[in-house]
Amino acid sequence: MSEMINKYAEIIGQAAMDSLVHIASRLQGKRIVHVNSTRAGGGVAEILSSMVPLSEELGLDVSWEVIEGDESFFNCTKMLHNTLQGMPGTLSERQMDIYANTNARNAERLKDVLQDADYVFIHDPQPAALINSFPQRKGKWVWRCHIDVSSPNKGVWQFIKKQVSGYDASIFSLPDFAQKLPHPQFLISPSIDPLTEKNIPLERSEVEKTYEDLGVPMDKPIILQVSRFDKFKDPLGVIESYRIIKEHVDVRLVLAGGEADDDPEASEMLNKVREAVNGDKDITVLLLPSDSHRKINALQTGADVVMQKSLKEGFGLTVTEAMWKGKPVIGGNVGGIRLQVINRFNGFRVRTPEGAAIRARYLISHPWKMEKMGKNAREYVLENFLITGHLRKYMTMLISLDGNGEWERWV
Amino acid sequence: MKSTNIKPFKFMESAVLPLATGIRAQNLRELHAGITQIPDSAIYFHFWGRMVRPHISESEFNNDFASWVNSSLRDFMLAEALGGINPVKFQNFDNIRAVILNILERRLENEDFLSWKKSDRDFHFIACKKLMFETGREASALDDFPSAVKNISRESFFYHFIDGRRRSPECKDDFTIWLEQFPDKTADLRKKLKNVDSYLFSLTELQRQVFSIFDNWQNSKGGAR
Repeated sequence: MSEMINKYAEIIGQAAMDSLVHIASRLQGKRIVHVNSTRAGGGVAEILSSMVPLSEELGLDVSWEVIEGDESFFNCTKMLHNTLQGMPGTLSERQMDIYANTNARNAERLKDVLQDADYVFIHDPQPAALINSFPQRKGKWVWRCHIDVSSPNKGVWQFIKKQVSGYDASIFSLPDFAQKLPHPQFLISPSIDPLTEKNIPLERSEVEKTYEDLGVPMDKPIILQVSRFDKFKDPLGVIESYRIIKEHVDVRLVLAGGEADDDPEASEMLNKVREAVNGDKDITVLLLPSDSHRKINALQTGADVVMQKSLKEGFGLTVTEAMWKGKPVIGGNVGGIRLQVINRFNGFRVRTPEGAAIRARYLISHPWKMEKMGKNAREYVLENFLITGHLRKYMTMLISLDGNGEWERWV
Repeated sequence: MKSTNIKPFKFMESAVLPLATGIRAQNLRELHAGITQIPDSAIYFHFWGRMVRPHISESEFNNDFASWVNSSLRDFMLAEALGGINPVKFQNFDNIRAVILNILERRLENEDFLSWKKSDRDFHFIACKKLMFETGREASALDDFPSAVKNISRESFFYHFIDGRRRSPECKDDFTIWLEQFPDKTADLRKKLKNVDSYLFSLTELQRQVFSIFDNWQNSKGGAR
């Protein structure tokens, strides 16, 4: 066993690790390729940064490819992302052409890798049209949709549906997100990696030093939200909630985020956030580079209350990260957060800034309940949302694709 | 203590992969309609497969239909009726389906507001694929069995303890069936395993409970290994 495998086994148990190794042995000799739109920034890139090396350690032949595109392509895919999550808007003919042409150019660049792969995972809508360039593909293609498409803009969904209908299967994070498609739609939750800098346990001294370096005194209870500066993450709602809390308890608010390579709207939202802060010295807005994993870890470890007050959420990885550090989370009652946060068991789900404020005050005033809910949160992640279990589901799903259609069978 | 007459216990595992059906319900009528349409694997998932998805033991109900009727429709009487179904008593999924439909139809006949009340949250019918495979591990001696059981994965525990009770006509888990080869020595152990209510705990809690039963049994006979 490699050092990496042993480290995972220490966390999930030797039996779970043996099971993973055993399942991986059934995929020996198969070529697996993941394709997404960015190497760094955002949850998909983070998951793949862990899943690909773990897959390799288990002996799988796996690679990770990233599509290339110019600003007009990423503006177009951001529009796709927003409208699939329900915002009004439509793609122009020109944008559809940009999308199709960029995918076709990437297909040409990646043809040697994709044509003969046994299994191809295409992550999210950006590279979904690659499949159109491989009518003679050898392997099974799976579209992995990470975003909340529970109430998409209908016209834009029809456009994406055309691209993904030809896949052998798709994966959604929740049943609410699944759509009418002519192939099996698996339900698999995203995960975090307990061995990355973002999730390893840190010494208290390092946590305090990080807060000091970032200019955040730890003299009052700290409320933290870590997420992109994106309207769906509702940073303005978090500030509103903080102002309500502040009427009762003296706290600090930290909003920590970074810009992803494929997120052109982030700076616009950041300006709105700074306006809303309006010089309040107890609010700190941190724009961190995408590789600030250890800093994020320290911020989450040192926070008293963690919020993820999203208005739309495919699956909040920052929610899982905070739960792994033993923090109950106050999350928006949307998307994957409904699967992650169970009211009063490991956090609270809220609908409004007022709701978030009430729960934050409750947690700050009941530290023993906060501790119990935090323990539940960590165990819940251990059972359900670690990268090892995630990879197990992917591997068994691939094995299931080669089946004869029976729902229950020996392999 | 190894005997050639003893059949070894072969450890298996299963993987339950949830699949969206696209069928959802907002009220009792739609729940009834959905149950007539869903495949057998969805009945399996909502009674047994639920144990291997993110799940806590807060709900006292043994199936998703009862939980949803309770928490989203707030029809508490109906939830209790649905929660009272013991699925292992039925020979096949069609029989379970018929019992659920019968309970729902009786409720719908009342035609009061609860029968058309819209739920707080949709019920999503989920089907599944279930793969089963050998792990290559086995135990042949009674003395080795407790430690072997304690070293299995959650998925293997699910297969042998939860799913095993479904597969057995007498509702016995696989461990118990194997232990019957040692009738006198394991009578107390089998009784304790039988008394574990597999519906009221999360999978991790159940695993801890069963391991503890094996530990206590081994310690009490002084043959701990």
